Amino acid sequence: MSYRTQLFQFHEKTSRLTDFAGFQMPLWYDSIISECSAVRNRVGVFDISHMGRIFVTGHDAERFLNYVTTNNVEALKPNHAQYTLICNWEGGIKDDLVIMKLDGQEYLIVCNAGNRQKDLSWLKENSRGYNVNLREVSDEVAMISIQGPKAPHTLQKLLEDDLSTMVRFDCKYVEIAGSKCVLSRTGYTGEDGFEICVLDTSISNPANALKIWDMTLKAGEEYGLKPCGLGARDVLRLEAGMCLYGSDITESTDPLEARLEFVVKFEKGDFIGKDAMLKRKEAGVKRRRVGLRMVGRGIPREKNRILKNGEVIGTVTSGTYSPTLNVGIAMGYISTEYSDVGKKVYIEIHGKPVEAEVVNLPFYDTKLYGLKRLK
Amino acid sequence: MKIEEYDVPESLYYTKDHEWLRLEGENCVIGVTDYAQKTLHEVVFVDLPERGRKVSKAESLGTVESVKAVSDYFAPVSGEIIEVNSILSTKPDLINKSPYGEGWIAIIKPSNLEVELKDLMDSKEYYQYLKSLIEK
Repeated sequence: MSYRTQLFQFHEKTSRLTDFAGFQMPLWYDSIISECSAVRNRVGVFDISHMGRIFVTGHDAERFLNYVTTNNVEALKPNHAQYTLICNWEGGIKDDLVIMKLDGQEYLIVCNAGNRQKDLSWLKENSRGYNVNLREVSDEVAMISIQGPKAPHTLQKLLEDDLSTMVRFDCKYVEIAGSKCVLSRTGYTGEDGFEICVLDTSISNPANALKIWDMTLKAGEEYGLKPCGLGARDVLRLEAGMCLYGSDITESTDPLEARLEFVVKFEKGDFIGKDAMLKRKEAGVKRRRVGLRMVGRGIPREKNRILKNGEVIGTVTSGTYSPTLNVGIAMGYISTEYSDVGKKVYIEIHGKPVEAEVVNLPFYDTKLYGLKRLK
Repeated sequence: MKIEEYDVPESLYYTKDHEWLRLEGENCVIGVTDYAQKTLHEVVFVDLPERGRKVSKAESLGTVESVKAVSDYFAPVSGEIIEVNSILSTKPDLINKSPYGEGWIAIIKPSNLEVELKDLMDSKEYYQYLKSLIEK
């Protein structure tokens, strides 16, 4: 069974389609390379409606979310969002997600497309004893992501609220073209950008979602906006050093070795996976997620082995050609003794060891690209 | 000849894996077809075989890679690699721009050409082959 998002009628006419987590999604429209360039230098727009969305409400919503996720939900202010993880009892990562705090005890969770069912079941299973209401709205809600240095300029044309008052990870209810939406200053590219959840729309009548998509394309025209597919999305997130669930993080990786400890708040009280993670922390991590940049010729790919002195010291979990840097880049897990920045290792590509270097994330020069670029 | 957007030049020989072969004197120039490059889309890397390497028919010579896809290419005939198009190391997109021209990959000095040529398709056969793939 293959699902389609509310914007499928646009993709069908304009893109090369691919299957992703059971959805027929655009892989690219014109070109992955030019779509990446649009986002890094101007602005791009993505359909991310395939992602999962769950409203969590009720008297115990905050306490419940604090128990099932690793970041501190109590510290979350209204109209603000946080990146966080759901872990299993062994401390393995079940999913990475964004939680938005809207009004009072109303939260909106955005999770990975492939984890929609798994997350919902897990949340339900662990909600016993909590006065919470879980409302999964993934199919009813469309989601559009506008990314790149010209994202604010593009989006500002579509709504009255002053976007300059929103900082990174702020979120709020807004009205766009007459539709109620949840807007957040978030993204998966390393660039400034916004994600819009269009609430007044549905699979059977996606007119409002299509309208906002079309308006965005038009508003961005003067900046050279491009619709972007999942190909560019994957390259951009990897260039930014962000994890892809299912590849870089799974139930068999923990937040410590994945270097996601910054969203694990051990001091906040009890939460699922805490004890297991503390034990792992005490024992010390044996491997670490690192960025790898090719020194020799070749493009690293998922599952390539990482070698040193003829021994296997790790595995590539994501690899691609980076159009921004014009070189092969990868993320993978390496034994801690080789995981320091500057260490030289070999990646086995088509049976041949090719030299690579452990580098800082993100891969790009942050003075030139990304959120913190010099204007 | 052209089928949909795919060029199929008449004087070449073809494989089912979408390599082409052109006879040039006693040698064979090889590359990947227009269909192959359009399916891969933007080529960003070509792994070239080493000059002097002895190859058997259908042996993998290397990979042609786009941002998201990797495709092996195979020797259409047995022989020795006597030349490679090293410009592809810095300009892999020549495969997209000119798959039958500047995007050639290697020259093979064949060792069993007469026999092996019979296993390859001519342009009419490759045209029919592409047609069957497209109609699937």
